[in-house]
Amino acid sequence: MNQARIGAWIATILGALYFVVPLIGTFEFSLRMRRGEYSFDAYRVVFGDPQFQATFAYSTLQALATIVVGVLLVVPTAYWIQLRLPKLRPVVEFITLMPLVIPAIVIVFGYIRLYNSSSILPMTASARATDLLLTFSYVTLALPYMYRAVDTGLRAIDVRTLTEAAENLGAGWPTILFKVILPNVRSAILSGAFLTFAVVIGEFTMASLLNRPAFGPYLQNIGANRAYEPSALAIIAFVVTWACMGLINVFGRGKQIKAAP
Amino acid sequence: MAQDIQTSPKPAGISLETSQKSWAWIGVSPFFIFALLFLILPTLDLMIGAFQDAQGGFTLQNLANLNTPSIKSAYWISLKVSVASALTGALFGFLLAYAVVLGGLPQWLRPTLMTFSGVASNFAGLPLAFAFIATLGRVGLVTVLLREFAGFDLYRTGFNLLSFWGLTLTYLYFQIPLMILIITPALDGLKREWREASEILGASRLQYWRHVALPILWPSILGTTLLLFANAFGAVATAYALTGSSLNIVTILLYAQIRGDVLHDQNLGYALALGMILITGVSNGAYIWLRSRSERWLR
Amino acid sequence: MTSAWKLASSSLVLAFALTVAGCGEEKKEEQAAETTAPAPAAQEQAAPAPAATQDAATAPAADPMQALIDAAKAEGQLTTIALPHDWCNYGEMIEGFKAKYGLTVNELNPDAGSGDEIEAIKANKGNTGPQAPDVIDVGLSFGPSSKAEGLIQPYKVATWDSIPDSAKDAEGYWYGDYYGVLAFQINSDVVKTAPQDWADLLKPEYANSVALAGDPRASNQAIQGVYAAGLSAAGGDAAKAADAGLKYFADLNKAGNFVPVIGKSASLAQGATPIIIRWDYNALADRDTLNGNPKVDVVVPKTGVVAGVYVQAISAYAPHPNAAKLWMEYLYSDEGQLTWLKGYCHPIRFNDLVKNGKVPQEMLDKLPPAAAYETAVFPTVEEQNAAKEVITKQWDTVVGANVQ
Repeated sequence: MNQARIGAWIATILGALYFVVPLIGTFEFSLRMRRGEYSFDAYRVVFGDPQFQATFAYSTLQALATIVVGVLLVVPTAYWIQLRLPKLRPVVEFITLMPLVIPAIVIVFGYIRLYNSSSILPMTASARATDLLLTFSYVTLALPYMYRAVDTGLRAIDVRTLTEAAENLGAGWPTILFKVILPNVRSAILSGAFLTFAVVIGEFTMASLLNRPAFGPYLQNIGANRAYEPSALAIIAFVVTWACMGLINVFGRGKQIKAAP
Repeated sequence: MAQDIQTSPKPAGISLETSQKSWAWIGVSPFFIFALLFLILPTLDLMIGAFQDAQGGFTLQNLANLNTPSIKSAYWISLKVSVASALTGALFGFLLAYAVVLGGLPQWLRPTLMTFSGVASNFAGLPLAFAFIATLGRVGLVTVLLREFAGFDLYRTGFNLLSFWGLTLTYLYFQIPLMILIITPALDGLKREWREASEILGASRLQYWRHVALPILWPSILGTTLLLFANAFGAVATAYALTGSSLNIVTILLYAQIRGDVLHDQNLGYALALGMILITGVSNGAYIWLRSRSERWLR
Repeated sequence: MTSAWKLASSSLVLAFALTVAGCGEEKKEEQAAETTAPAPAAQEQAAPAPAATQDAATAPAADPMQALIDAAKAEGQLTTIALPHDWCNYGEMIEGFKAKYGLTVNELNPDAGSGDEIEAIKANKGNTGPQAPDVIDVGLSFGPSSKAEGLIQPYKVATWDSIPDSAKDAEGYWYGDYYGVLAFQINSDVVKTAPQDWADLLKPEYANSVALAGDPRASNQAIQGVYAAGLSAAGGDAAKAADAGLKYFADLNKAGNFVPVIGKSASLAQGATPIIIRWDYNALADRDTLNGNPKVDVVVPKTGVVAGVYVQAISAYAPHPNAAKLWMEYLYSDEGQLTWLKGYCHPIRFNDLVKNGKVPQEMLDKLPPAAAYETAVFPTVEEQNAAKEVITKQWDTVVGANVQ
């Protein structure tokens, strides 16, 4: 046992080194804005920019919307596939891998052609409708991660027995899905939610071409011509995103503790 | 409808199955409608475009044009980087996830690792490339510190960040967290009872892993490795920012054709993307075959 | 009943799919029909413009200009694309335009390349929403190609005649806006002696120092960089420049001086790429932004001085054509041209302005010495295309991807 624990500690420390040291490198560079001494000037510039708060808030809202739509779309699908339609699994898995390989720029140009102001679904005509289109495009982008996470989570529980037990107790399928299955794949959904959140916050191509005020285009804009601010921004974005995920984590886990009898 | 089935005695098994199956079809239809509207239709343009020339007529020339040495070598390098980062990412990610979930470490490490992995999994592109340049580049923080305090010149050993292995190392920064996040729920599903049962029956740790745990986890590990492969295969921003003009990978070529200042043969770009989709399809097929072999005993 | 359910739901999905796909196709045909409509309308508007410019030469252009201003104000908005605020002082240009005419400016994707701008026009053909660009600012070679694809509409500004003939389309579809030359941006904290010419960069003291500002297989700036190096190495022979440029970079790479990273402000400051080959206006604007940390030198090489011209055009599907035309008038007015000069870009009417003494001396002082620009070469579209062919296809094999 002790050997295992030493091994675990070694793995964790090496992992921590690998992930933290490049961040330290970025942080050290971001402090160099004032000539000859370390200072937080780059951070002052970034925080003083009202665009930073506006775009970050917008992207956070989009991320939360994407997570909700994604979960509602993926969990029932993965459930039904696992339970009743295993032959469809290869098709669904292939579909969910596509967004990784098809360049986002092709997808969004497709949206503009299909859903522009002169089509039957004029989604680009108003700002709110374009926001909705952007949410759907984010759901598409996050599909690989969300599906894989939920699928892995569903494999780890005995879906068939749970369903049959619930049915025997008289539950209809909405109850089964939301009160029996969902709580059991909570940790998988949380993983998917984290991945989705990170994807949406940093996403650039779709937000930029659909012309919405998201964080990704803002990051790119700052990064294009400045030396020190992009590093500061990277660190700030990292820390704030991490905090948001911590909140999602607390929120998600908190409910679980209350639900257990 | 399900409740009707409960109160009356079960009818012939076949009609129960099929009625539940039809509920299942309705249940998955939102997904398929969504996929159709927001994924398949927009990319039909791409599929069709791969077979068109600049004027819109049908041609196989774009596919024929894929047969140049530079494009073939681009596919080859893309494959190599993707496989390398997928395999190493899966391995290290699995070890790290195992260490934190089942390694007997303090409780607070798990949520920290999960949330950190969430952020790191999308820390890619120019910020990531620059972070590694600023750390392991020729005048990077670690390089300089090693030279000054340990007298160790990293670059004299032949290490070069701006190389194939440097790029793989950088890719690991988002591959490992992706593996961790997705495999952890599966590790949660390894019941402690199985471990105890195998110990009671006299199995060693190695036997437990070889005969119980790994077979159970194998489909998930395979599936996630495939995801890592596709993730690396489609990545462009990091490679571009790190090894920009010296590395020839498909995604950079693709972007150069579709959005470049100069090249701009869009249909060739579509043909390149079609090639990428085919490769992903083939690897997906291989994964399904491998998984079905390992799943035979699970059902 | 259950298999009927299956049939029903599958056919519903299929029917939906076909309808949407079918509508998409119909829309494309309708858009194809619409595209021919704006073109003749634009040509009709182009006809009165030359007449207007003749009046403008003799009398203040009050009436046609005022009509244009009113029409633009009625549209209320201009959509631009690919105009970073730090590039040629576009930030001040946009603010000036907004202040003068009270229109809003919707800025799309400042990071877009010329190819992106063309794609944006194509993708937004039927779209009058805010994603469709009105005006584009693209590399010289994109002018004739987008005219051939029917993506732009002609317009001749009031000051049309003072634009050099070599930098504009005779029918008014596209027109040069500014130019700059390729220069070395040097981090003088890291690099002690600044190189003065292309041949200097091969010296051993510049090991692991030199980078291009883009990917020479795709970026105009990088390709021109290779061409300029080749022009210097080939002693000014344009036909040999592309091959000579490739050989130069192969030598640079073998000597260990070439860094394959794409040079940016951050990598210059960090020290990974202390010498970057880029347009002089970008280098100078960057020098100002960095504000001495680190100290930056901008050197125009003694030989192989290549100038790059960018061109303006109005989209054939512009949702706000009058606002677009008003924007062009503003850009080509003295005020607009001098705003560009403030951003270190040489406006296309530079010689005309200097001749009429309209350029303030302080502005001239902030630029590199005029002598450096006297030997500047303006490659023609044919020369650029020929060089592009050679460089993009052979970069990997000649310079050698050292990254396996």
